[in-house]
Amino acid sequence: MGAGSLILLIICGVLFSVGGILVAKLFGPSSYNEQKLEAYECGVPTEGGTWIQYNVGYYLFALIFLIFDVEIVFLFPWAVVIREMGVIAFLEVLIFVFILFLGLLYAWKKGALKWV
Amino acid sequence: MTIANFIFYLVSSMILVFGVLTISTRQLFRSAIYLLFSLINVAALFFLMDNEFLAAVQVVVYVGGIIVLILFSLFLTQQAGLKLPLPGLGRSMMAGLLSFFGFVLLFSLLLAASPEADENSFSAITMKEIGFGLLNFGKNGYVLPFEVVSILLLAAMIGAIAIAFKTKKE
Repeated sequence: MGAGSLILLIICGVLFSVGGILVAKLFGPSSYNEQKLEAYECGVPTEGGTWIQYNVGYYLFALIFLIFDVEIVFLFPWAVVIREMGVIAFLEVLIFVFILFLGLLYAWKKGALKWV
Repeated sequence: MTIANFIFYLVSSMILVFGVLTISTRQLFRSAIYLLFSLINVAALFFLMDNEFLAAVQVVVYVGGIIVLILFSLFLTQQAGLKLPLPGLGRSMMAGLLSFFGFVLLFSLLLAASPEADENSFSAITMKEIGFGLLNFGKNGYVLPFEVVSILLLAAMIGAIAIAFKTKKE
């Protein structure tokens, strides 16, 4: 796994995506239609602008997601060494996860997890 | 020029191009997406330096978390789809001055760093070393900070929820 394989991966990635689009352009039939330019929303014509203000509830979900995102980052190194460290590492992470679980309970109790 | 050098220049130029696009586009949403590409390339740079942990943090926290948060906060504003007006002369001069000083500072730090440091003297910290350091409670262990981090995250989560619900009631 050197730099050579990385560059091969880059070339393959570019070829794969560009090639797919090119082949579809070359061999697929193409027809223009005004309606094709519209935003697709379950087949129903959309009402109003699409750049509307979102509910703050979505933002709360994003924040809670971010917290657990950071938690996962700390679990990466743990997952690498748990086999060698054994029960102690497991207990340490159990405490770690438990403290964060309290946060999840709080969010639940407050009704922050209710889909608005 | 070795292949690693070539990849380094490719990735760095991508960071620069997307960075310039981030600040030059006048649509907020596109700006956030360009920032996303820039950050992904920073992660690629970390991978190139064999720093898997930093690369993972970059992808999971910055690309996956911070950008999502930025996009959501853009949606919270009512002007996510509008084109921003061009900045005034004073503001662009100020921004140019600030970025120039930032560049000078970073460049002087770069020159001050030992120039003879080469690839052979550099050894990346592996995920395993970080894991052992984080979970050891012996001499060089950081298990207490590791547990305290969870309390910090808990405080952040409770604070966010408390603030969000306070504004809802008013």
